[in-house]
Amino acid sequence: MLKSWKLKEIVLMSLFGVVFGIVYLLFIHLGNIWAGVIGPIAYEWMFGIWFIVSIISMYIIRKPGAALLPESMAAVIEVMLGNAVGPRLILSGIIQGLGAEAAFAATRYKHFNLFVLMLAGIGAAVFSFIYGYFVSGYAALDPSFVALMFTLRVLSGAIIAGVGGKYIADALLATGSLRGYAISRTDKGDARA
Amino acid sequence: MRNLLHDMNPSVKFGVVTVSMLAVAFFFNPWTPLLFWVSVLALQIALSRINWKIWLLFMLPFTLGAFGYLWTTVIFSAETGGTVIWSFAGLDVTDAQWTTALSLSFRVMAFSTLSLMFAFTTDPVKFIMSLMQQLKLSPKLAYGIMVGYQFLPVMKDEFIQIQQAHRLRGADTEKHWWQRLFSMRRVIIPMLAGAVRKAERSAFAMEARGFTGEARTAFYRPVQVGRTDFLLAGVFMLLLVGSCVGGVILSAP
Repeated sequence: MLKSWKLKEIVLMSLFGVVFGIVYLLFIHLGNIWAGVIGPIAYEWMFGIWFIVSIISMYIIRKPGAALLPESMAAVIEVMLGNAVGPRLILSGIIQGLGAEAAFAATRYKHFNLFVLMLAGIGAAVFSFIYGYFVSGYAALDPSFVALMFTLRVLSGAIIAGVGGKYIADALLATGSLRGYAISRTDKGDARA
Repeated sequence: MRNLLHDMNPSVKFGVVTVSMLAVAFFFNPWTPLLFWVSVLALQIALSRINWKIWLLFMLPFTLGAFGYLWTTVIFSAETGGTVIWSFAGLDVTDAQWTTALSLSFRVMAFSTLSLMFAFTTDPVKFIMSLMQQLKLSPKLAYGIMVGYQFLPVMKDEFIQIQQAHRLRGADTEKHWWQRLFSMRRVIIPMLAGAVRKAERSAFAMEARGFTGEARTAFYRPVQVGRTDFLLAGVFMLLLVGSCVGGVILSAP
């Protein structure tokens, strides 16, 4: 899978992983304090933030693996930075990345419009919820409460990760720094100097 | 003795921590996570040298999170059977709800302690080297991550620089935290644009110096798996099994 990857694309994913790894950690702490007040549902509405690097990277690089790898790399970097969620972040990163990757694989890596990006956000939300259901013991909670959590997470995945991810990537494209990546080549728009 | 956890092979430690977490997730009695939490803490006190002040600071938000878990589980528990142990503001709390709530909260505490043990005793660079050497992570990815990691201080400087530039141009300073949250875009776009340029430059530099990313067998700094790693992994597994069995016995009616 890595054969077709240029080194600069891998390093790009890693650097995105650093930027978003810091953002992710920030929100984990924010979420924890918040969760002390309103419980685990505190994370749900902002869960999309944790999927965003998959969507941005895939939108820019457009190669198989461009959703799974950056999310996993961001998770590894979060672990390297040191935090109290720890090594299992890598596992959840891989699972979230797989969820987003599944949506892109289902469309055969051909379309990268808003709909597919939102679908990827939803995919990541569904995958991560199944994992969270197990690890965080949601089975012990009231099913209707779990359903509410699930709905919030899917919405958050679609809106924050899907729409937000596209918004950030488009803004980045406008800066002109993405020349040399798939996003500039396939974009119909004029040459951005 | 007190550097045993620090010297443990990172990949083995990583495996042990992950397996423990997945195993503890199967239990919904309060004793298993409690026992495991206490034993991990004891192990960490005995076998590591860490700054406990910083440790406490890290634990604080997770303790708050655990408390959130406690009361949401009490209110939104799936099980409503069992005898009522106390009533509060028209809310009946049964012993079954209370047990699950305690279990999930202790789980948060056990997981955080285990994670902090990993974070406080593992050298990040050694961790990546070990992932590459023991778990066969592709060198392309491993060194890619290392580049990102080494850029951290540069990123921090850049963050300060962007903020200063904004201030210099007289951009509004935000008063409320939610305004600050929305103005993150102003910072994150230049940060990412900088990241793209840095990625290109460093990848070019690596390739110019002959980095191909091929899998290799010889390493400049080998990370080994030794007898103590197996021993420590065995101790952890023993504690894990002990907590699981002990928890089931203690919570039996």
